[in-house]
Amino acid sequence: MSLDIFSQYLINCLMLGMIYAMVAVGFTLFFGVLDIIQFSHGDVLMVGGFTALVTYAGAQALGVANPWLQLALMVLIATALTAGLGVLVARYLVLPLKNAPPLNTLLITLMMGMVLREGVRLAYPNGSNPQPFPRLLPGGVWSVGGFEARIDSTILLLVGLALITGLHLLITRSKLGLAIRAVAQDGETARIMGINFNWIVLLTFGIGSGMAALGGVMNGLYYTEINFGVGLLLGVIGFAAAILGGLGNLYGAILGGFLFAALQTVGAVVLPMLSQHIPSSYKDVFAFAVVIALIAWRPTGLIAEKSTERA
Amino acid sequence: MAQLSVQGIDTAYDRIDVLHGVSLDVEPGRITCILGSNGSGKTTLIRSILGLTPPHAGDIVFEGASLVGQPTHRIVGRGIACIPEGRRIFPKMTVAENLAVGAYQLSDEAEVARRAAQVYELFPRLKERRDQLAGTMSGGEQAMVSVGRGLMAKPKMLIIDEPSLGLSPLYVKENFRIIRRINDMGITVLLVEQNVRQTLAIAHYGYVLSQGRMVAHGAAADLAADAEVRAAYFG
Repeated sequence: MSLDIFSQYLINCLMLGMIYAMVAVGFTLFFGVLDIIQFSHGDVLMVGGFTALVTYAGAQALGVANPWLQLALMVLIATALTAGLGVLVARYLVLPLKNAPPLNTLLITLMMGMVLREGVRLAYPNGSNPQPFPRLLPGGVWSVGGFEARIDSTILLLVGLALITGLHLLITRSKLGLAIRAVAQDGETARIMGINFNWIVLLTFGIGSGMAALGGVMNGLYYTEINFGVGLLLGVIGFAAAILGGLGNLYGAILGGFLFAALQTVGAVVLPMLSQHIPSSYKDVFAFAVVIALIAWRPTGLIAEKSTERA
Repeated sequence: MAQLSVQGIDTAYDRIDVLHGVSLDVEPGRITCILGSNGSGKTTLIRSILGLTPPHAGDIVFEGASLVGQPTHRIVGRGIACIPEGRRIFPKMTVAENLAVGAYQLSDEAEVARRAAQVYELFPRLKERRDQLAGTMSGGEQAMVSVGRGLMAKPKMLIIDEPSLGLSPLYVKENFRIIRRINDMGITVLLVEQNVRQTLAIAHYGYVLSQGRMVAHGAAADLAADAEVRAAYFG
C-alpha cells in the first residue's frame, strides 16, 4: 500500500473515531450520573446536524456570506439548541422515571429517538433523502513526504481533539466536573454534600448532547451530506463504543470510539485483501462481530472497574 | 431554644410508616445522641431531617425555619452537614477531592484552603495521603476522610450516623475522641449510635428510639443509669 493511500485510510479512521468518541462520551456521562441508557442520543446528534443546516440556510438568507462566520453561527446555534434538547429529554423523560424500572427509561428514550427521526424526515423539505451539507472549510491538501491529508479533515481532527481535551479538563479540573463525578460515584452522598442533584443531571445531559451536536456538524462537514437516519447507526456505534470501554468510564468511551473506527478500517481494507469475495462494505459486519466477541470476552468493558470501586 | 426541633413527624417508605410521631430537640453547642437498635428508625430519622425521605406529617424546624419540603442541597446550605453511615467516601476521588466535595457550597477558594488545612491538622495522615484515591485506603483512613469531608462545610450542626460501625476498637475510641473535639470547636453534634456506653459518656442529652417511636429521653447521665432504657435498648 502506498503512503498516500495509507494516509487517507489513517485520516479517515481517526475522523470516524473522533465522531464516535464524541457520541460515546455522552452515553457514558449519562450512564455515570443516572445509570440509564439514553437511546435517542444518536438522533439528538442528527437534530444537531439538521439545526446547523437550517442555520446555514438562515445565514444565507440574511446575507451572511463569510464561510467562517456561517460556520461559527452553525456551531453555536446547533450546540446550544441541541444541548437544550438534551436538557428537556432529561427533565421531562428521564428524571421523572428515576424510580421506575430502567427498562422504562430505555423504552421511552428509544421511542423519543423515533419521534425525532421521523419528525425530521417528514418536516424537513425532501427530508427522506440525504441533504447536501455545505463545504465551508478550506479545501486543498497538505503533504509531508508522501504523506498527504486534506486541510479540512485536518482542521476537523484538531478541533475534535481540542473538544475532547476540553471535556477531559472540565470533568477532572472544574468544580462542575467534581460535582458530576460525585453524582456518578454516589448520587445520594453527593446530595448530602450539598450538591443539587437534578441540576447536575440536567447540566450533564446538556454537555453530552452539545458534544453530540458538534459530532453531528463534524459528520456533516466531513461527508458533505446528512440524512435523517444518521443518528441510528452513529447511536448504535457510540453506544457500542461506550460499552466496549466500560460504561461510565470517559476514557474508555473515547478509546472505544477509536477502536471501533479502527475495526471498520481494518474490515474495509484487510478483508478484501484476504479474499476477493468479501467487499469492503462488510466492514460493519466485521466491526460489530469483533465487538460482540470482545464484550463476550470482557463483559465489563476493556477498562474494567474493580468491583470494590463500585461498592 | 432548640437549634433543631423535630415535631411529631411521621415518615414512610412505600406508604408504610417507619416513624410514628417522633419528636426531638437538639440544643446548640451540645452533643445530642439517638440510641436504638437496628431497624428502630434511626437512619430514617436522619433521612427525614436531610430531606432525603421527607416526613408526610409533623414539622422539622432548624434555627426557626421549617426544613420540610426543602431539597437536600438547601437544607445542607442552612448549615447542616452529615457524616453518613458506612462513611460513603467517593472511592475514585483523591482525599483532597473528597474534601473539596465537602466544601461544595463554598465559593471562596481561600476559605476552602483554610478549612482543608484545619482538617489536615486534625488528621495529619490525610495530609500525607492527599493525592491517594480514597477507595484504596484502609477502613480507618476512610473514616478520617468521611469525618474531614463533613467538617469542610464548617457546619453549624453535624449529624454523625453510626461512626463506629465496622471499625476496630482502637479506631472506635479514637472516633469518640474526635467527636468530642468537633463539639469543642463549637459545632452542635447529633450523634446516632449503637454503642450505648461510650456514646452516653460523651453526649449531653440522649433519645432512645424503638420501633419508630421515641420511648425515652433525658440527660445522658440519667439515661445511663436508667435500667428501663437499657432493657428497651438491649431487649
